[in-house]
Amino acid sequence: MNKKIISGFAIAASAALTFGVVASVPASAAVKEVTIAYQGPLTGDAAQTGIDEVNAVKYALKKYNDTKPAVKINLVTIDDQGAGAVALTVAPGAAANKKIIAIVGPAFSGATISSLPYYKAARLPMISPSATNVTLTDKKSVNYGYPVFHRVPSTDAFQGPALAKWAVQNQKSPKVYVVDDKSPYGTGLASFVKKALASGTLGGSDSTPDDTKDFAATISKVKSTDSNVVIYTGYYAQAAILLNQLRAAGFKGDFAAGDGVMSQSFIDGAGKNAEGALLVAPTIPLSVGNPTMEADYVKVMGAASGEYSAETITITNLFIEAVKSGVSTRSAMLNFINGYKGLTAVGTKLSFDRNGDNNGAAAIGGFIVKGGKTVAIEVVK
Amino acid sequence: MFDTLIHQFWSLTYSGIALGFIYVLIAMGYTMVYGVLRMINFANSEIFTVGAFATMIVSKYVFDFSAEMIPPSNAKLFLVIICCLAASMLVSGLLAFLVELVAYRHLRNRTSNRIAPLISAIGIGIVISEVVRILTRARTQFSPNVVPKKALFTFQGAEIRLDNTVTIFAGLALFIILERFIKLSRLGKGIRAVSMDEDSAKLMGVNLNRVISLTFILGGLMTGAAGFFYVNVYENVKYNMGFSLGLAAFTAAVIGGIGNIRGAFFGGIALGLVEIYASAIVGTQWKPVTVFIILILILLFRPNGIFGEAIQKTRV
Repeated sequence: MNKKIISGFAIAASAALTFGVVASVPASAAVKEVTIAYQGPLTGDAAQTGIDEVNAVKYALKKYNDTKPAVKINLVTIDDQGAGAVALTVAPGAAANKKIIAIVGPAFSGATISSLPYYKAARLPMISPSATNVTLTDKKSVNYGYPVFHRVPSTDAFQGPALAKWAVQNQKSPKVYVVDDKSPYGTGLASFVKKALASGTLGGSDSTPDDTKDFAATISKVKSTDSNVVIYTGYYAQAAILLNQLRAAGFKGDFAAGDGVMSQSFIDGAGKNAEGALLVAPTIPLSVGNPTMEADYVKVMGAASGEYSAETITITNLFIEAVKSGVSTRSAMLNFINGYKGLTAVGTKLSFDRNGDNNGAAAIGGFIVKGGKTVAIEVVK
Repeated sequence: MFDTLIHQFWSLTYSGIALGFIYVLIAMGYTMVYGVLRMINFANSEIFTVGAFATMIVSKYVFDFSAEMIPPSNAKLFLVIICCLAASMLVSGLLAFLVELVAYRHLRNRTSNRIAPLISAIGIGIVISEVVRILTRARTQFSPNVVPKKALFTFQGAEIRLDNTVTIFAGLALFIILERFIKLSRLGKGIRAVSMDEDSAKLMGVNLNRVISLTFILGGLMTGAAGFFYVNVYENVKYNMGFSLGLAAFTAAVIGGIGNIRGAFFGGIALGLVEIYASAIVGTQWKPVTVFIILILILLFRPNGIFGEAIQKTRV
């Protein structure tokens, strides 16, 4: 029932995009304008990621547009709720809206996989700040995003082994139980985690749909395998529900997760149970990698940056550079991205290989939840 | 494959029964309305959602409960439990009454078309769900721990927790009260009379509209109680939570024999156990497949559900 009405709204939104009814495009013809889009979850359980990212886009665009440039850049937001099913309904509209010359996003791998056929057909270039599923840049995969898909973070092929290593740091004899959320991101990351775990340390694994509310069976398996570490590869709302039920059932071991869980919403949902949770993410927080920009961000936006803000600002600045150099079409933007060589917001090198991966992808950061906050500890090697 | 089931059998069973009681109470909302009207109340899943939100709101905003707070004394805890349960039941009962007034009564009086009220109820369900979605921005809302998740004792290695125990015993008490009410009270006899033969009941002086409204309200009260118990055990609410739980409870009602409240009881408990055993044996990803294969097999051999043959005798 709900899905039907969501689809209805999504179709209406698609139609609005298709016919160019975009509220953020002013009528004035005096200033030449181009439009970029942000696609990610702006509502739903994963909305915090999308809100953090879209705010980072707005920050970069505000800094640019405040300089009264010859070509102003407008922003269209596309809410895919981080879900492939919703992305299927909004992507056609974005692809058909010729005003959009590039997309920051999509944020999530599943939504990217659903959107790609439309963006590939429309040759709409995209750079994701946070989609890490390896198949997106694997030319043998049906999800291969060439030529339009690019991304800044490193893939789950790097995140998985880092998570496997980071999760067991407190245990002398680790026994790991891996739970994924059945999403493309969750299952992909889980497979790399399992491959990377030392021989004999995998206690077992389970695959729980992302609307699971009762984890009793999974928790029983954790107990029956005597696992002392649970790794969850999914997103933060479900992670909080699982962790709360694990602790209520008396699980005393460590809880670890990937970048899908690294959000304040996870800590808010899990409360004190989140303390000590071990997280990894292929990102360096803006506050750590570029404190000066972070201070300016707080001044301009009135709040601290979030997860993947640095990557999102990097992508938006790349599009700004492209527009400054005269780019105003999708094909020109694609050429610009493919030939780009520059730096990210945290100072690492940025250029893309033929498959769309970042040649200078940052290392995987290790984090821990302490005092109700996610604290960056070190780069996981 | 069976290691978890063998080693954690009692723990799984207790959790499965607690989940089963939540299904039982939601299934009451479906089965009572079907028993009287021969129609499904498709808004029942959203009535459940609203009941669950009522518990979350009362505990969080009326009693200032939070995840970090020290559990209150027994007397205050009892007061909070009663208030939350009452709020969920009243809100859901009232909502069910409104659904009957808006979606069913008006159309029942003006058309003999049996599809129109169903579509109307689906429409109301969507409206409720979308309003909640917009108000919560589709995010999961975490509820404070109303009933502490402390272990009362250990049985065969299984921790018997307070929250599950409250769900099982209070759920059982509510079922017995409802069953006795329908069997023994004057209003309950009216419900049964309409269920057996609407025209004869009317000729005997039974107020049809009153009986149907009462049926919806009773179903809503039970569904609202399920919302309270759900929040107790799982501590989270979301705008679309009713969809999957409502579908499961409807399945439970069909397994037991829809229209039969004892059937809904056994169907709910059986489904809770089958779900949790299936998850433990073949993996959580196979749970829906297993459950619906069992449902199809049951309906192949007993098209009216397990207790289908008793419908004429015990239908509400």
